[in-house]
Amino acid sequence: MADDVKTKEKTESLESLRKADDNLRLPTVPERTLFPKEIGIAPAREQTPAVGQRATRPDGRMHGLGQTKYIDDMFFPGMLHAKIKRACISHAKIKSIDVSEAEKMPGVMATLIGKEIPVNSFGPSYQDQPLLADDIVRHAGDGVAAVAAVTEQQALDALEKIKIVYEELTPVYDPMEAMKDDAVKIHNGESNVYSSKTIIKGDVEQGFKDSDFIFEKTFTTQMVEHVPMEPHASIAEWDANGRVTLHTSLGRITLGRADVSRTLDLPINRIRMIATVVGGNFGGKNEITTEPILALLSKKTGRPVKCVFTREDEFISSTTRHPFVMEYKTGMSKEGKIMARKVRLVCDGGAYCSWSETTLGKACILSAGPYNIDNLHVDAYAVYTNKTMTGAMRGFGAPQVCFAYESHMDDMAKELGIEPLEIRFMNAFNEGSTSPTGQLLEAVVVTDSLKMASERFGWKEWQK
Amino acid sequence: MTDITLTVNGEEKTASVPPETTLLKMLREDLNYTGAKLGCDVGDCGACTVLVDGIAVNACLMLAGQAEGKNIETIEGLSTLEEYHPIQKAFEDVASLQCGFCGPGMIMSTKALIDQGEELTRDDIKDALSGNLCRCTGYTKIIEGVIDAYEEITGKKVPETNPRAA
Repeated sequence: MADDVKTKEKTESLESLRKADDNLRLPTVPERTLFPKEIGIAPAREQTPAVGQRATRPDGRMHGLGQTKYIDDMFFPGMLHAKIKRACISHAKIKSIDVSEAEKMPGVMATLIGKEIPVNSFGPSYQDQPLLADDIVRHAGDGVAAVAAVTEQQALDALEKIKIVYEELTPVYDPMEAMKDDAVKIHNGESNVYSSKTIIKGDVEQGFKDSDFIFEKTFTTQMVEHVPMEPHASIAEWDANGRVTLHTSLGRITLGRADVSRTLDLPINRIRMIATVVGGNFGGKNEITTEPILALLSKKTGRPVKCVFTREDEFISSTTRHPFVMEYKTGMSKEGKIMARKVRLVCDGGAYCSWSETTLGKACILSAGPYNIDNLHVDAYAVYTNKTMTGAMRGFGAPQVCFAYESHMDDMAKELGIEPLEIRFMNAFNEGSTSPTGQLLEAVVVTDSLKMASERFGWKEWQK
Repeated sequence: MTDITLTVNGEEKTASVPPETTLLKMLREDLNYTGAKLGCDVGDCGACTVLVDGIAVNACLMLAGQAEGKNIETIEGLSTLEEYHPIQKAFEDVASLQCGFCGPGMIMSTKALIDQGEELTRDDIKDALSGNLCRCTGYTKIIEGVIDAYEEITGKKVPETNPRAA
């Protein structure tokens, strides 16, 4: 009895809450699509009733009404528009930057170059990336100067008047070339390889000796841009109390706040980051881009400053997915059992490290595939080149290696005359397998999933 | 500066804009209709789609001057305080929109398509939305949303097609 009363009270309070919520919604309030109330608890590994249900998104209505406010939909009194001058040269030393002509252009309120930024470097693993290149340009999309003007068109016009004298340096575009000892060093270090990882399990050479067949193949993948529908955008306001407010489309604001604090040399409690609805991230909006530049332009002008990337900026200067060169060598028994595998991964990191180190780690761990391999040797390297930098993107290195090991598997199945599914069943992880890094795996359903999927989509029929 | 007068969602509006201003810029910055979005500024993505005299156009490619005296419909004009537009409802119910940035453009393209009053197949829908890019959903749910809206508005059915035959 007491339980009933409680439940009733709970339902009532929930409903009044929902009503209050609905009253805030404009314009009209159509009936809400809701989950069935009694979902029940499904036994482990059985499909829950939630699967297959239609769910609506809490922000779906605002999106559909066109009422969601992205950064570019916000305007503040007196707001200026900033644009960034791109180097458009992939490797060069900056001899001089002259912004005096640009400053005389109509509507221009301030300009900024790299030397004016308190700490001109940032990055999640290594702080090797400048906000605006001040000494060396390392890829064509590097920003070299910024302009804040009353309108976007005036800012764009002023960019044309910035005079920069470059001394061209030899660029390196191929990661394999960049790895060589005599290659041009992009970051003045001893080598362009800035991160390497190794996994060794068992004895690869012995494994190859015990194999009946050896297969070798090199796979490569290309660079991929996230192309979020909404370009990177932010608005900065430096107020009279020395506090900075940033409205930004950044996905990781806490990390971004630390980076802004570092680059502006300002205590972190003076920085307020307001994350808005993001028009597509996919990993590409994990790091700061223009935020500190806008903050400094705002400090110079005393006005809020907005910068929205053009689509061109987006392609040439934001992060992309890493291109990989993947060399695979696999020893097989006659029956189709993998005896040994040797992998060499070269990750083309572009001009700056960004998330390459993390990506390399994940690619390295996953490069052997979901297969039981007793003898394994993986070497992985991340390399600087004079290309658009690479960073986080969905999968973090996993899609590249997956493409390689699965293609390799298909090639071997064909050569050995074994059904592609069969060869995977023979080698796939099972309950209690250990991963290449020694992790004991539980609840492994690779084989079951493969079986079920192949039945459902008609693998046998498609084979004919 | 040029004075431009046009009708937006049934209301006559005038703004004084520089001659290079696009219809999109004028709508967003001078008239405060921020529903249409700027995605690429070169007519590839369709996030800026609005209806000009009933035809879906990329507002980023049309100069404000070219729209002088025309009848413009934007996403803001679909719903009223009393009535929620069936396309918007269908898109919400099916969860067609994730980040939502392509949404207003998708919905306006859908409206132009349904307003033609022709019988539609899945291919017609794909054709009509081919100028609107989405990076989140993979389009499946958007097409479902369009079908639901079409069936709701016209009472007709979109024929089922075998995806393998397509």
